[in-house]
Amino acid sequence: MKIKIFRWRAIGPLLVLFVIAGVLWWLFADTIARHESQKVGTQMLGARVEINNLHLDIANGKVLMRGLTIASPHEAFKNLLQADEIVADLDVVPLTEKKIIINRIAANGLRFGTPRQTDGRVAAKSGEGIAGRVLAETRAWASQFQIPVLQLATGKISIDSLDPRRLSTIPAATALSARADSARRAWQAAFDSLRLGQTLDSASAALERLRHARATDLATLNEARQELDRLKRARDRVTSLERGVKTGVAELQGGLAGLDSARRRDYAFARSLLKLPSFDAPEIGAALFAPGAIKPFERVLYYAQLARRYMPPGLLPRATTGPGRLRRAGEDVRFPKEHALPAFLLRSAELSFLLHPTSEQPQQYAGRLTGLTSDPALYGRPTDFRASGPQFGAGALVNHVRSIPVDTAGATVGGIRLPAFEIPGVPLRLDPGAATTQLGFTLNGDTIQARFAIRSTNVRWTRDSGGGFTNTTIGDLIWRTVSGISNLDVEARISGALHHPDLAVRSNLDQAIASRLRAVLGEQVAAAEKQVRDRVDALIKDKVGPVRARVNEVLTQAQAQVAQQRARLDDLQTQLEQRLRELTRIRLP
Amino acid sequence: MFALIKLIQSLFGALHSEGTPGQLAAGIVLGSFLGLTPLFNLHNALIFAALVLLNVSFAGGLLGWALFVPVGFLLDPLFDWIGHSLLLAPSLRGLWTSLYNTPIIPLTNFNNTVVLGSLVFALLAAVPLFFVIRWAVVRYRATVGERVRQSRFYRAVMASKVYNVYKMFRP
Repeated sequence: MKIKIFRWRAIGPLLVLFVIAGVLWWLFADTIARHESQKVGTQMLGARVEINNLHLDIANGKVLMRGLTIASPHEAFKNLLQADEIVADLDVVPLTEKKIIINRIAANGLRFGTPRQTDGRVAAKSGEGIAGRVLAETRAWASQFQIPVLQLATGKISIDSLDPRRLSTIPAATALSARADSARRAWQAAFDSLRLGQTLDSASAALERLRHARATDLATLNEARQELDRLKRARDRVTSLERGVKTGVAELQGGLAGLDSARRRDYAFARSLLKLPSFDAPEIGAALFAPGAIKPFERVLYYAQLARRYMPPGLLPRATTGPGRLRRAGEDVRFPKEHALPAFLLRSAELSFLLHPTSEQPQQYAGRLTGLTSDPALYGRPTDFRASGPQFGAGALVNHVRSIPVDTAGATVGGIRLPAFEIPGVPLRLDPGAATTQLGFTLNGDTIQARFAIRSTNVRWTRDSGGGFTNTTIGDLIWRTVSGISNLDVEARISGALHHPDLAVRSNLDQAIASRLRAVLGEQVAAAEKQVRDRVDALIKDKVGPVRARVNEVLTQAQAQVAQQRARLDDLQTQLEQRLRELTRIRLP
Repeated sequence: MFALIKLIQSLFGALHSEGTPGQLAAGIVLGSFLGLTPLFNLHNALIFAALVLLNVSFAGGLLGWALFVPVGFLLDPLFDWIGHSLLLAPSLRGLWTSLYNTPIIPLTNFNNTVVLGSLVFALLAAVPLFFVIRWAVVRYRATVGERVRQSRFYRAVMASKVYNVYKMFRP
């Protein structure tokens, strides 16, 4: 019996099924697109993305979005931005290649930093996906700036707790002593292996015989020449040994210098046990403001690193986390191709936004974003963002067109009211009032240059009851110093290699606090520092003195031994050569 | 429980249907594609269309789908690895780049490691799976098939169709 391959009568029901699927898609496309946009946006930014309403008009290539809210990835109950309405003009044909090309976006009613009811952070809590990894990396980066809070000595200064086992000079001295002994033994062994005594005795005997020989005594002359050769070879061996000794001497002398360094480290360690205050203005600036100043850098770096992950330079395949589903998400690999369209491109966006949205007269600003793309190498131009208005200017250039990405951003916001914050380590709360903030950021390859500054002319100080020095003399002193200062000028700079940059923080308060502290605590601190040094010296003296003497003795002995033997060799060689010249000189009748 | 009864019903329904062992095996193999690969992908629409249009056992297809869904979940790490190896193989980069930049093809999500890995696995497993199932169905029908058909258990399971009809129309 012949079996039919096709079930032709099933075509009708199948078509009906596909039509039903099409109708369902048409009915629920907006909802599906809204859910997908929220899901992808949340996954990419590491913070909840919410859209109240989204309408797809594929026929006309338009997308209308209302009520967009993007939570802050860093702050629990704060939004990064909200938008009343966003209208996008799409290219429809690239959608068949799963590529999203947006010719123009008009965004109205953008607001930044608005409060929210629920915690919108996702990456910070889960740590998953690219955003989670980048967030963890930037947190680790920020945590490398271990800024000690301002430490002030209280009560009686005592260093009885100084444990000799924690001093680095003592183990360094022990190690140096062992090295000196080892070097001495090695040199002695090397010296013995030269067997110079035998050579010298033999050469002396030959010289003696040569003194009584005549010019015709060829055997004695030859023997003397052979001895001379032996002497020269022995001299070469001594020269070689001398080089080794010189190297060893330099190492041991370096060890002696290392003992001095170790002692300085021990002074610093012992000083740290006392928690003596630093009177250096830069250190005071860092202690007061660095913890707060690092946050803006950390956040900008987060977005810069995200941009580098989602907008990498070059045309190599790129893997990103796949779509979330019940099954394993896997990874989506993109394959950019030269002269083809990028997977995502926003050609131009016109932004209209509000600053100070909660004030009585919110100010409206405008901005423009161009060339935001997933494949900068295909688009060929950097992403550019500019916005300006009264007391406000911001710009960013994300240039991933070439192999070394360069990200720059800058912003100046004037008249913005910053929240009051506690100053770590001291019982003070600072309300900067309406301040001008500036941020400059450049990440060129792996080199970072960044600057953050706050300027205010009407700061207010509050005495915080929770500080460690609330009712102490020091607390009173600092309070009296800063409470009369109404200007605030803080500047933080980061520069150098991204993995290990330098941080410098200065403020107009540093010098004032430093000089007041120095005036009140200077003598006490100087006496304590001397006590610290004396105590360390007493603990290490018994160990370091003998080691230093032992090393010097070994050095002297080795150098003297080499010099002495070398002198004997030279002397014998000279005498032999002279006598040979005398005997072999041709005397004309 | 209901799903289990449905699965057992499908199994016995397919095994004792009038279809040939080859039709049943082909249906199960097509169903295995639906179960092994992530469901909502364009290639599965084609597989479903094939299941409907080709003269294979539709019940077998549903059975294969149900049986291979847990296998798919279980083997996802393997699929991920296969897909990753294939998509990032330098020798295949030209092929993937061409496909990725061709209309419609990217809508299949072939560039996802799990989708590609599971699809390749399902394709490779299809032929041996077909022959194994066909042999097993032949052996079943030749040995215990008739006895099972006469058993009270079989009658009880198939009788629960009444319950299905009731469920379909209940308010």
